[in-house]
Amino acid sequence: MAVNKYDQDEELNVRVDFSYFSMLKKYLKPHIPVIIFTVLMMFVSAFCELLPPYFISLVLDKCLPESNFKLFFILVAALAVVAVLVCIIMRVRSVVTNRMAMRIIQDIRSDLFAHMQKLPFSFFDSRPHGKILVRVVNYVNSIANLFANGIIDMITNVFKMFVIIGFMFAMDVKFTLISLAGFPLFAIVLTIIRSRHMKAWRKLSAKQSNLNAYLQESINGMKITQSFAREEKNAEIFDNLCEDNKKFWMKAVYISLGIPMFVSVLSTTTTAAVYVMGVGRIAAGVLQVGTLIAFASYVSRFWEPVTALTTFYNEIVNVGSYIERIFQMLDEPLVVEDLPGAQPLENIKGDVKFENVTFAYERGARNILENVSFEVKSGDRIALVGPTGAGKSTVINLLARFYDIQGGKITIDGNDITHATLNSLRSQMGIMLQDSFLFSGTIMDNIRYSRLDATDEQVIEAAKAVCAHDFIMQFPKGYETEVNEGGTSLSAGQKQLIAFARALLADPAILILDEATSSIDTETEIALQKGLERLLQGRTSFIIAHRLSTIKNSTKIMYIADKNIAESGTHDELITKGGRYYELYMAQYKFLENM
Amino acid sequence: MSALKWLWGYLKEYKAGLIAVVLVTLVFIAGAFIIPIIMGLFVDDVIVNGKKSLMFFYAFLLIGSVIIKEGVHYWRMAKIERISQSVVKAIRNKLYSKLQSLDCSFFDHTRTGDLMSRLTMDTDAIRVVIAGTFVNLLNQILFIVVGIAIICSINLVIGLSLFLVAPFIGFFAFCLAKRIKYDFLAMRESNAELNTVVQENISGNRVVKAYAREEYEIEKFEEKNQKYSDAFMGHVHTWKKYYPSMYFFVKLLSVLFLLSGGYLVMKNIITVGEFTTINGCLWSIQSPMTNIGNIINQFQQFNASSLKIRGLEDEIPDIQNREIKKRDTGINGKICFKNVTFAYDGDRVLKNINFTANPGDTIAIIGPTGSGKSTIINLLARFYDPTCGAVYIDDINVKNIDLSTLRQNVASAMQDVFLFSDTVKDNIAYGAPNATLDDVIRVAKIADAHDFIMKLSDGYDTVIGERGTGLSGGQRQRISLARALLKNPAILILDDTTSALDMETEFSIQENLKEGNKTKIIIAHRISSVRNADLILVLNQGSLVEWGTHDSLMELGGYYKGVFEHQFGDFNNGPKYHIEHPAFADMMNVGGEDNGSK
Repeated sequence: MAVNKYDQDEELNVRVDFSYFSMLKKYLKPHIPVIIFTVLMMFVSAFCELLPPYFISLVLDKCLPESNFKLFFILVAALAVVAVLVCIIMRVRSVVTNRMAMRIIQDIRSDLFAHMQKLPFSFFDSRPHGKILVRVVNYVNSIANLFANGIIDMITNVFKMFVIIGFMFAMDVKFTLISLAGFPLFAIVLTIIRSRHMKAWRKLSAKQSNLNAYLQESINGMKITQSFAREEKNAEIFDNLCEDNKKFWMKAVYISLGIPMFVSVLSTTTTAAVYVMGVGRIAAGVLQVGTLIAFASYVSRFWEPVTALTTFYNEIVNVGSYIERIFQMLDEPLVVEDLPGAQPLENIKGDVKFENVTFAYERGARNILENVSFEVKSGDRIALVGPTGAGKSTVINLLARFYDIQGGKITIDGNDITHATLNSLRSQMGIMLQDSFLFSGTIMDNIRYSRLDATDEQVIEAAKAVCAHDFIMQFPKGYETEVNEGGTSLSAGQKQLIAFARALLADPAILILDEATSSIDTETEIALQKGLERLLQGRTSFIIAHRLSTIKNSTKIMYIADKNIAESGTHDELITKGGRYYELYMAQYKFLENM
Repeated sequence: MSALKWLWGYLKEYKAGLIAVVLVTLVFIAGAFIIPIIMGLFVDDVIVNGKKSLMFFYAFLLIGSVIIKEGVHYWRMAKIERISQSVVKAIRNKLYSKLQSLDCSFFDHTRTGDLMSRLTMDTDAIRVVIAGTFVNLLNQILFIVVGIAIICSINLVIGLSLFLVAPFIGFFAFCLAKRIKYDFLAMRESNAELNTVVQENISGNRVVKAYAREEYEIEKFEEKNQKYSDAFMGHVHTWKKYYPSMYFFVKLLSVLFLLSGGYLVMKNIITVGEFTTINGCLWSIQSPMTNIGNIINQFQQFNASSLKIRGLEDEIPDIQNREIKKRDTGINGKICFKNVTFAYDGDRVLKNINFTANPGDTIAIIGPTGSGKSTIINLLARFYDPTCGAVYIDDINVKNIDLSTLRQNVASAMQDVFLFSDTVKDNIAYGAPNATLDDVIRVAKIADAHDFIMKLSDGYDTVIGERGTGLSGGQRQRISLARALLKNPAILILDDTTSALDMETEFSIQENLKEGNKTKIIIAHRISSVRNADLILVLNQGSLVEWGTHDSLMELGGYYKGVFEHQFGDFNNGPKYHIEHPAFADMMNVGGEDNGSK
């Protein structure tokens, strides 16, 4: 069953590392020209930004001693031009890089969503939906900045760092070596804290995910909470989740804050060292004052990109825990997928055959069905009955290939369904599930969901067939009535009727009704059956129902129990047989005994 | 400004901490300025004037200052992060409590994704404004003020020349702030839409697969994905329009400085050391100024978010405690509806309903889909208030009963079974978190759920998926019933709770429920479920059309009798096979006598 709930952290099995980053390559690849273009632009811009100290040293060393006003004014004018250039580059860049970032996250999100469509029920059943949601929306959003600024800034900063080192070497080799002495120390410290740092952010993102999951469930289950007057207890749980978030945020932040601090101390210390060294050399006459000042200013500027890189590093670590989770979901294995060379099933006739089908939800788990065999002819009406949880829904889940079987074979018109494309298989089935889930949108849209090209008339016809038309027309807006999320404004019976119309509109070769009428009143049901009679003509249908009046006219009734079909036959045959179906049938009247 | 005033309501508590942060910031800023000054002195005294004895003194002063400055910085950042986290936590808790106090009509009209955004994205914007913007702004202002003061004190001409750019920077900053707010609101909205699409897709994943609608879902999603992207780019375009221009004027400061400062040095009006100091100070003006854009961004994001958060905070539930006459006492279970009419969104769902039930009675409600059956119990548990008339429990208007007391005593197993992704045990114990496992097992047995629970992989500790996915409809209904039973309520409501159960199971549950003196309200479509009730109400289109016991309704020969005849139709018509089976014949006779006696 479920692997996870709101108060359990999602643990990643992989060691803390950057392996998931390599998966980003695919998304970055189409944008390499843009990246190169932007980086080149940034090189120009970064170079421009480095000019002022050099100009100042020129003013001090060249213009000042010789009172060279001409050079002075040229320098001032050049600096103004540089400022304009920097500003233009910034304008271009902000659009180019952000657009790139948006395309990348759009692509990642699309892939994620498309992959999600193929994931098995068990993926959705086994974890709070809030935890899935947060990956597709929030996590992907939070990595946008990495592409908009992070990567390009990183390249630019690395470049800046080398340019500065270049400037420094050009000025004075010895000085340069001294001032870079702090760098290895910095690298060592960073390596030491790396894994702690990543773990802290990872833990935090797990806590954020928990909070999200709990929040979403709380909102969706609010009516239950209120009806059980459990607000206080929930507030307490929520408070604990918030406290966890706070605690782990602080843990992560303590480490993150320390890094730039360390850089700043290193930067000033090396600058001081340069000054101290400079004193002797100026006295010796090998160094000019202007050069020393310019050099010292380069030393502090050298640490600027380093600080920026550490910020980037912080971001990478932080975002890394999101990236891991995003790609982990993309890695999530598909349980049921088109086999290589799968062929579409052309116009299904509706002959269904189960041959020795064995099924368990997980490998090694208890079998739900064992060696089930039956055969259904096109146009047959099959009813599945049996105790709750016996596996009635499982039979139809297997037929629609929501799960793959462990043993045996299921064929439709003689074709093994595992060799057919999923789309061709399911699009020719009309499946009405136990949960009559409706999407937000109009009633019209909801019915049309099963056949997108259906006209309004066809939709209305389907609604009439299931007796939903009357109540729909009672709404002020009729078919254009907006159904809200989850359809809370409709009664369960109304939702079922809409879901029923949806199933019928699909005009399927095989119609599957799983408890389609459980919440529908008897009067509607009587009317419904008349309409159904006509609609079931020529289709193979599978009906699961507890109200036996619904299923008495079936071609074949199968009583599912003990992992197999315990009895099968027509209603009359089974009653005559006096077995379990007979007992079930009799139970309907049991209450009369008490009269 | 009211956004800030609102935020202050939360920050007040941390006044001392905030003052400490401000004071410490002064030390930090002082450190930031002392460092270039020391460097200037170093150049003037040691290098230019050759006072080598001061060399190490200055060097250590320099290193000492930076350590103090950075140490202080670390402390204040940690402090402000802690404060911001505490504020965010307080806001979240407050919003969460607010959500719990809001009534159904609010949730009917609000998207889950939107509420999620408020408690996550929007509260995060609050965090950023406290931990980031506040400290940042404080820094920038102090940097600029002190920087300008130092520059002016060294040379007024240079100082004043720098002011030339201020109006331009101010103008672009103002435009940016004004426009970008709308972009953030648009981004927020498109994000909420994206949230909704994805969330619905997740919840409806079974339906999507059942109809092989993956392509369509992807299309729907792509539209929102694109929309978010567009909204984001809208904000980028606003940014592009104003920020680079602003940046240009900030950079112009360097040009103005080089022009005025360089000229003055060459004219020997200021020293090289002073020139170096000003150069250092200039940097500390420029870099905060380039930051203005970020501050505006964050602040406007905060503005947009605070609007949303305050909107939720100000939401007033219709259902509230007013003039409480009954609190913390038991409820006997007498129910009375007097002239109750209820309209929802202009639609009259219930019309003039009257009935009374005594403690221990069983009331059954039957009627067509959408006739208002569930609405009756929604009014009883006070999820909505009637438009006209009143609902009484123990002769007290439910509006005057403490909500918590009311709901503690009224338990319902609802039509839409909602289970939480938690263990089976905790789901059953949802209304009584302190219940022991024995209690849980006891009610599970009454609800006929014990046997299938024991067959689950971890028994009562099995974690079930959100909304109970992974369980069959009938299993979910039984867990929900057990959950309602564990509260041991005075009034038990079963809203179509047994529809997915087979008859056998339903029958045994009904037998189990006979014990105790609870008032029971049963909504069902099956005659078998309602047959034994003390009072059966038949609803049609919001009106009470028939009422009475099974016998009197059968005699009446209306809707109820029609339903009965359908459900047991061929039974009474004497199908051909009953004669062939003795047991069936016996049953037939019992039924026959029954019918004959009327």
